[in-house]
Amino acid sequence: MRVAYFSPMPPEKTGIADYSALLVPALRERVGVDVVRRGRKKPPRGTDVALYQVGNNPDAHAWIVDALRRHPGVVVLHDFVVHHLVAGMTVGRRDGHGYLDAMEAEHGVVGRLLAHGVLDKRIPPLWESRPEDFPLASFVLDHATGVIVHSRFVRDLVRGSGFPGPVWVVPHPAWPVPAIVPERVAAGVVIGCFGIVNQSKRIPELLQAAATVRSSRSDVTLLLVGPTSPGFDLDRRLQRLGLAGEGTVREGWIEENRLWALMSGCDVLVNLRHPTMGETSGSVIRGLSLAKPVVVSDVGWFSELPGDAALKVSPDEDEVATLTAALELLVTRDDVRTAMGSAAAELVRRDHDLHRVADLYVAALEEAAGGRPVSDAVLREVSEAAAGAGIAPGSAEAAEIARRLAEVGLGG
Amino acid sequence: MRIAVLRPQVPFARGGVEIFTDTLVEELRARGHEAALVSVPFKWYPGERVLTQAFLWRMLDLEEADGEPIDLVVGTKFPSYLARHPEKRVWLVHQFRQAYELDGTELGQFGGAPAERALRRKVQELDRVALGEATRLFAISTNVAARLEASIGLRAEVLPHPPQALDFRCESYGDFVLSVNRLDRAKRIELLLEAAALDSALEVVIAGDGPDRERLERLAHDRGLDGRARFAGRVSEDELADLYSRCLAVYYAPVDEDYGMVPLEAFLSEKPVLTTTDAGGPLEVVADRRTGLVVSPDASELARAAGWLRAHRDEAASLGRAGKELASEVTWDRAIARLLG
Repeated sequence: MRVAYFSPMPPEKTGIADYSALLVPALRERVGVDVVRRGRKKPPRGTDVALYQVGNNPDAHAWIVDALRRHPGVVVLHDFVVHHLVAGMTVGRRDGHGYLDAMEAEHGVVGRLLAHGVLDKRIPPLWESRPEDFPLASFVLDHATGVIVHSRFVRDLVRGSGFPGPVWVVPHPAWPVPAIVPERVAAGVVIGCFGIVNQSKRIPELLQAAATVRSSRSDVTLLLVGPTSPGFDLDRRLQRLGLAGEGTVREGWIEENRLWALMSGCDVLVNLRHPTMGETSGSVIRGLSLAKPVVVSDVGWFSELPGDAALKVSPDEDEVATLTAALELLVTRDDVRTAMGSAAAELVRRDHDLHRVADLYVAALEEAAGGRPVSDAVLREVSEAAAGAGIAPGSAEAAEIARRLAEVGLGG
Repeated sequence: MRIAVLRPQVPFARGGVEIFTDTLVEELRARGHEAALVSVPFKWYPGERVLTQAFLWRMLDLEEADGEPIDLVVGTKFPSYLARHPEKRVWLVHQFRQAYELDGTELGQFGGAPAERALRRKVQELDRVALGEATRLFAISTNVAARLEASIGLRAEVLPHPPQALDFRCESYGDFVLSVNRLDRAKRIELLLEAAALDSALEVVIAGDGPDRERLERLAHDRGLDGRARFAGRVSEDELADLYSRCLAVYYAPVDEDYGMVPLEAFLSEKPVLTTTDAGGPLEVVADRRTGLVVSPDASELARAAGWLRAHRDEAASLGRAGKELASEVTWDRAIARLLG
């Protein structure tokens, strides 16, 4: 089988480029994979199935969705909310009508009116203010013959959106842990948080919780790694909570190896977010691979992590109190940290093993490439037999046959 | 309880699954249950026929029969476990192996074309749904359970069953090595014939019939084994028990076999088993130098092992007796108690 693989690839600096760099060699051990050059609009000749890696970043993915819209295929949906991508492919190309149509297609007349408001600059851009309320996934899904997602959460969203085709849940693969020397930024317990520093990563809540923990445990250090979003007043918040200087270590964007070293030197990892766009966190996967206990928000994919490997914090009115209690538990109980770390490593071994993920990919691609003729042949033979026995289309008997076929995935 | 035992039936074929399911029905009846065998013909080719034939099982209504409820059904082999029932137990003999570990081998069925690949995936999807519905899932061996978990992620409890009830006895440790098996390529009878070609003192008796018989007979002839390799064909239960009772050892080395009743039958006749390191299920009971000899799948190794047994008949008897002790632990009382528990 030959697969045309559309994805950003290194040296592009995106999580999905990293993902594909990890996945493609494992796929090539199983099937033929042609990585399509950026900007090409169609799969190479001889392709059995085209695979499109789609995320929310228009710079990285607009050309891929352009190709998808010309040649339908299997979509790997890394984010369910793709409003930013759609805006980039419409408004960003001076195609206001395209944006109006996309909003109307998914959200009806109200969506079109809101889109007018955005284009007329009467309301803030929805892709910045409320993207989770207007995911615009159908812009992509309408052209997909099947969809691969990383979580049951997104599978349910895709199904709920009315997508009629097959949806496969394939976990995010884990990177092999490089041979690194852990870099400890402080003595005592280090709580690490890796990723963009902003509101949706719940950094204000984390800072409050860390300040409370530090009030009784001065040997606890908070390590924040990642660029700060424009407009997010991190320094002022640190000062106000007494976390500036001692007690906090700050790193901006860092190279991959340093990231592994710093993460490896942490005792606890925190990765919160709300709202979720349906994404999976490569940072959490790395942390679990390092057998670290993690604290996550109880949303989306993160909710599906087993409780013995991750403590979950709901983004509700008790968020700070719950987060504080979780951190206090992990800071004070190294036996709990050890047990959670073991469970994390086992989870990665069991569910996120690269070769298992590649096998699941191949299963999905084989079904996508040849499933339709097989289903058609089965339906033809069954319906011929039914007709031969006098079972009329639309009869109760025919309905039962259809129901039984659907139960076992042969319903076409 | 009213219990239906489910078995797909390849018309005119009779092998281990048929013996197992017939015996299960008898043993259930012997314990006061009302048991019946439910059988549907099975043909797995060409193309998507494997799916449409499997689907027949899905259309069966086994919740009751003749106005009386059926309390429990026991699925055994693909595709019988596609049947629906609120109390569906599966005692898995094996999945449709061509869609799993045999894929890509000479024993596989599905080619590389997209439709054939997809067909194989559909078989796996059927298993995932149908076996996932089971209220309890058993496998006849660790090998079968491990394959199941590795392929579709379902865990089964290992529940071996006893072999058919024959007049098992040990009369002597004669000069011949006995093979009891269906004659098809996967059973690897040719390895025994090649071993006999290397050791002029090795005599073999091959019980069983099948599509590979002509090729094997030709091979025996080409190797000059006439007189030392006897093809006994399908034998009666009495004849089989007699062969077991008089042989030196029993050869049983299919490729990655599910489990295999033959080693247990050999043990109940106090005979050691000759098998290979890649035989799969048989290795769960045949331990090298404890209940038999385990060698690499190589004719000269096998010939050497058979020669050693011939030269050490006391040791052969000792291995056979150790096997009997082990086989005596596998009883229908225990198996049925767990199956219905």
